[in-house]
Amino acid sequence: MAQVEKRGGLLRKSSASKKPLKEKVVLMYDEIFMVVAMSQTEDPSKCSPRFWEELFLMKVNLEYLEGKLESLDGEELMKIKDNINCLFQHCIQALGEEHPIRVVNALQTLCALIRGVHQKNKSTSGFDIINMLMGFDKAELCMKNLMESLDSLLCAEGSESLKSLCLKLLLCLVTVTDNISQNTILEYVMINSIFEAILQILSHPPSRREHGYDAVVLLALLVNYRKYESVNPYIVKLSIVDDEATLNGMGLVIAQALSEYNRQYKDKEEEHQSGFFSALTNMVGSMFIADAHEKISVQTNEAILLALYEAVHLNRNFITVLAQSHPEMGLVTTPVSPAPTTPVTPLGTTPPSSDVISSVELPLDADVQTSNLLITFLKYSSIVMQDTKDEHRLHSGKLCLIILTCIAEDQYANAFLHDDNMNFRVNLHRMPMRHRKKAADKNLPCRPLVCAVLDLMVEFIVTHMMKEFPMDLYIRCIQVVHKLLCYQKKCRVRLHYTWRELWSALINLLKFLMSNETVLLAKHNIFTLALMIVNLFNMFITYGDTFLPTPSSYDELYYEIIRMHQSFDNLYSMVLRLSTNAGQWKEAASKVTHALVNIRAIINHFNPKIESYAAVNHISQLSEEQVLEVVRANYDTLTLKLQDGLDQYERYSEQHKEAAFFKELVRSISTNVRRNLAFHTLSQEVLLKEFSTIS
Amino acid sequence: MGDTVVEPAPLKPTSEPTSGPPGNNGGSLLSVITEGVGELSVIDPEVAQKACQEVLEKVKLLHGGVAVSSRGTPLELVNGDGVDSEIRCLDDPPAQIREEEDEMGAAVASGTAKGARRRRQNNSAKQSWLLRLFESKLFDISMAISYLYNSKEPGVQAYIGNRLFCFRNEDVDFYLPQLLNMYIHMDEDVGDAIKPYIVHRCRQSINFSLQCALLLGAYSSDMHISTQRHSRGTKLRKLILSDELKPAHRKRELPSLSPAPDTGLSPSKRTHQRSKSDATASISLSSNLKRTASNPKVENEDEPVRLAPEREFIKSLMAIGKRLATLPTKEQKTQRLISELSLLNHKLPARVWLPTAGFDHHVVRVPHTQAVVLNSKDKAPYLIYVEVLECENFDTTSVPARIPENRIRSTRSVENLPECGITHEQRAGSFSTVPNYDNDDEAWSVDDIGELQVELPEVHTNSCDNISQFSVDSITSQESKEPVFIAAGDIRRRLSEQLAHTPTAFKRDPEDPSAVALKEPWQEKVRRIREGSPYGHLPNWRLLSVIVKCGDDLRQELLAFQVLKQLQSIWEQERVPLWIKPYKILVISADSGMIEPVVNAVSIHQVKKQSQLSLLDYFLQEHGSYTTEAFLSAQRNFVQSCAGYCLVCYLLQVKDSSPRNLGFETSAFKLTTEFVDVMGGLDGDMFNYYKMLMLQGLIAARKHMDKVVQIVEIMQQGSQLPCFHGSSTIRNLKERFHMSMTEEQLQLLVEQMVDGSMRSITTKLYDGFQYLTNGIM
Repeated sequence: MAQVEKRGGLLRKSSASKKPLKEKVVLMYDEIFMVVAMSQTEDPSKCSPRFWEELFLMKVNLEYLEGKLESLDGEELMKIKDNINCLFQHCIQALGEEHPIRVVNALQTLCALIRGVHQKNKSTSGFDIINMLMGFDKAELCMKNLMESLDSLLCAEGSESLKSLCLKLLLCLVTVTDNISQNTILEYVMINSIFEAILQILSHPPSRREHGYDAVVLLALLVNYRKYESVNPYIVKLSIVDDEATLNGMGLVIAQALSEYNRQYKDKEEEHQSGFFSALTNMVGSMFIADAHEKISVQTNEAILLALYEAVHLNRNFITVLAQSHPEMGLVTTPVSPAPTTPVTPLGTTPPSSDVISSVELPLDADVQTSNLLITFLKYSSIVMQDTKDEHRLHSGKLCLIILTCIAEDQYANAFLHDDNMNFRVNLHRMPMRHRKKAADKNLPCRPLVCAVLDLMVEFIVTHMMKEFPMDLYIRCIQVVHKLLCYQKKCRVRLHYTWRELWSALINLLKFLMSNETVLLAKHNIFTLALMIVNLFNMFITYGDTFLPTPSSYDELYYEIIRMHQSFDNLYSMVLRLSTNAGQWKEAASKVTHALVNIRAIINHFNPKIESYAAVNHISQLSEEQVLEVVRANYDTLTLKLQDGLDQYERYSEQHKEAAFFKELVRSISTNVRRNLAFHTLSQEVLLKEFSTIS
Repeated sequence: MGDTVVEPAPLKPTSEPTSGPPGNNGGSLLSVITEGVGELSVIDPEVAQKACQEVLEKVKLLHGGVAVSSRGTPLELVNGDGVDSEIRCLDDPPAQIREEEDEMGAAVASGTAKGARRRRQNNSAKQSWLLRLFESKLFDISMAISYLYNSKEPGVQAYIGNRLFCFRNEDVDFYLPQLLNMYIHMDEDVGDAIKPYIVHRCRQSINFSLQCALLLGAYSSDMHISTQRHSRGTKLRKLILSDELKPAHRKRELPSLSPAPDTGLSPSKRTHQRSKSDATASISLSSNLKRTASNPKVENEDEPVRLAPEREFIKSLMAIGKRLATLPTKEQKTQRLISELSLLNHKLPARVWLPTAGFDHHVVRVPHTQAVVLNSKDKAPYLIYVEVLECENFDTTSVPARIPENRIRSTRSVENLPECGITHEQRAGSFSTVPNYDNDDEAWSVDDIGELQVELPEVHTNSCDNISQFSVDSITSQESKEPVFIAAGDIRRRLSEQLAHTPTAFKRDPEDPSAVALKEPWQEKVRRIREGSPYGHLPNWRLLSVIVKCGDDLRQELLAFQVLKQLQSIWEQERVPLWIKPYKILVISADSGMIEPVVNAVSIHQVKKQSQLSLLDYFLQEHGSYTTEAFLSAQRNFVQSCAGYCLVCYLLQVKDSSPRNLGFETSAFKLTTEFVDVMGGLDGDMFNYYKMLMLQGLIAARKHMDKVVQIVEIMQQGSQLPCFHGSSTIRNLKERFHMSMTEEQLQLLVEQMVDGSMRSITTKLYDGFQYLTNGIM
């Protein structure tokens, strides 16, 4: 894939007229890669002692250099190995030079070398590449020097574009293989850590604005190198960072990238809705949304999402950052110019640079003004999760739910999610659906953040009942709700939430499972999900006194169960049937039968009472109020069984269950990052101009 | 002329009254001195002495003038040579005196000449009485201020300026607005008399410096801009704001700081170093507070002007208020406020303090989520809670180290996570289904269960640990194999009971967020915030609260506060059990300030709105039925505070919460039927008690009218406050004390006033009626 693009780049860039006249630098490259005789190369500096000095003064021709290496096959490459080693070493030497132009050229040459050799070498192992680039004997020292140079360049008070190039080189190095764990060169990056340099970039506002995105992506990738096999120092270090400035910086970078995505999505959406299609859109809205979605690449944001995940998952202190307001985005007070309607960056081609965000003044809408990372993330999730058909989006949606799972397990996060003093109005994206109107944004109440999380979960539940049933996502979704309820029960948080929406969503989901039993059973164990749903109800039934907001909400729960008793009855007969058969679902189904005991008790207890009430009063159809009256009058004769373990859950564990997912995710992120490291981002015309004036 | 005689005398410690002033005051003069010196042990004797010298010098110069003006009086003798001998007695090296003399001479020369010309002739008899008064034990700060204000004699003024050193700091502090207003707006002699004291106190206390600087700014603001720039007030303000008044002898012990509290932060990292330099850079931009805690090194290197961090702190609080005012809805304001404050938190702890507090402290954190926007139409006043660490001395104690917000996580493991305000007993009582039935036997009458296992499932408590698998099997795998049954009715009942037991919290209303915040009992709030704070474990942790007002002129409020305070102490002195609780006011500028709210107070307006009850019903709801102890004492408190409040309203003619119309309104005060209902109706004993209290209060206030009027009168100088519009403010105020009436007549008056106010039942309940609190009820 990369090759195709490169050729494209070549065709675009170099015009035919240029060809015959070879640049000096190209001649020099030729000299390096020239096989003199008998498969031997010659040190070019033999003939001209100032060869290397001159080389790094020359503007790098990335296309040529990379193309040249690419054109050689493995054996040919082996022949010029010594000179490649030599070039590599000189590059590293040049990094220490005072003159920035040499440094720039050396950095670019290194990029080209690494990429060129790797492309050639796809089939072979990583060790061969180390040998090819540096030579086994010198590799350790070589990489040490390289990393140290990069580290000092990144930390020095130098040019920002130089730093940017350093990060690009590192990203280039990290993503050069599809599977990051097979990239053996990274062993040296593990030994010679640049973690501190990354942190410094993030903690220092100006550098964070310039390089935050690259730094965060780099960090996220490095953390995923041989995550489960060895001790990755980046994991260890990231988990203990407690410097607030750094963590906040990281949170900001993530928040900016996510909100940039949200903004672009919103713009696109509005574009579609404001057109004369608007009438149509309402009817076939999902089609158009999908269309809009197509144009907005989710891919670049997977890297950022991964970074968010790693930060939340690994670093306990990062949780506090979630609730921090965005200082830079939130406090924009003067809208300089109306935000451009068309996105500034071509979507999906480059990672959204934070530059763009800071220069585009965000419109003064109340929502933007006081936002925090969690809100931005929830909005992002609401967009991403609405469509899970595409594999990328499925990944993103899954990762969002995993992050939410981690958040829902964290005590501190729960504390601020449920903080009655921190009310927000979160405009979640809602999928336009035929049978419901788009909720007017302005009517949203201002509530504790956990309500937005619950809304998001309810929204997911009601919008994904489809043939391609995302079972995994559903399970995660229910788990998130369950974990939040456990916290509320434990800490006696009485959330004023419209629980009824959750209840009816859950019951509808049960109905869907039953009506698609045969189709779903072919692919999934639907009983796990059913059991979780039933147990959520059990949680409300037996522990409702500890977290429901009002006595009447407890009545409403009963009302809802009684009203929908048909669904529960059906579920019961289904699981009873399957648990009495000696089929593969016997055990799973019987668990559900046990779990249903209280719900059945409620139904069996109240239904006769309601019927007799209707009979006595000669009413054919009882109103809600009448049913509630019967419910209230008959609690005392109802006995429930205390089910154990309702408020317990298994903690999230990445290594045991999610390793494969993350491996796959990181692979796709690597590919994307590599693709985005296009020539033009590496060549940095600006930077050359910058330094030419100095000399 | 005669007055001038008086003033050098007290300073003269020589025992020979040979050249004494008219009258035989020599001995008593001495006694004044000794008394003064005795008290001076509190204040810095050196400084005091310097101030005295200043006065002496001035007098000496005056005498030069006087001699020429051929009004020779014995006083010349006093001074002629007295200075040296006196100073010698004070054990001062003469060399220093000379220096002082030279300095002072030049400075004072011009002023004194003018003063001399203006002097009136007083007879010496009166003067001796004056002197006696000044010497007597009765001579208190109130009189001192009064004479400073009324006397036109520079000598008297200078004497009083000197005497200020002898009063307790707190006593003088009360009159600081008056002193400074005189300094700004009255003639130079008064100013010269006051200045040494102010300068002296500024050197002593950074808080005093701040207050002076703020008041000087605020009370100069009514001047024309061109005069203001060169006014003495502005000059003094500049002097204070510059670092010249930094205590010279008492430099902050740097060594104690430098090994200081880096501990809270991550170990040596480049990132850390870097962020330090960031901090300095941002400070030079002056848009940020200096965070000195993490940064002791920088502080030592280029210590900023000592008031700078505090001024930045105040400035950022005001800036928040300004930004909030631009937002349309209260909800947006609240959100914005919280996020702004969370940013402010990043800069704390710092060498900043809340001037409204009565003790030395450093501000360490603003629990941002607790802040609320208060009810106001166009402005955006807001209430914040501020966590501080009390300290010995603000100046010398080092700023506490920053403890990151997330640090609390390490000290509070998942297991001992606070149960959100539920104590252990409560929790045990209601947590699991079983123990709840212990004292509720009939609830357990479920037929089919014989003996129930009362096994408290401990697993609940640590459900977050990765203990058991989520499974229904766990029922059978538990030790208690027998299933546990519960009654649905009990769950439902517990739910309603628990909701009933939670104290009647106000319902959250996005349009009135402050109601909930104010209703929460203060102790409760303190405990809650302390638990959530990374600094909460420190023994010197304190919680303060303050209302930040931006765009409001609080000078009138300050005046009202002073009057209320004065009345309060008068009533206390006269043992009249009237209860008023004035808000502490900090004037920051002519259009901004802070108010220290009365804790545990909600406005009656909010009470009514939230409870939807009449005031009486609310009392009954909160305190129990008519005959309960709680209700009766609440009722008594209500009567006492209501009477106090009504008197205040009458005397100051308060229309709303501030005396905007001081001196204008002719109606008495507001007494609604609701209030009377709480008092038990018009015929009740309590209502009579109410009227009697009013009478007693008025009689007591009348007795000390001067003390009250004086406060207002002095502030009239140079003021354009609306309460001083028209020339009759002071006269009207005085008239309302009815000095000429007999007590019987006064009683009649009170009856009439109460009657009159009863008739104006339509009077709208005003919003700021927060003197009435349930705090002591």
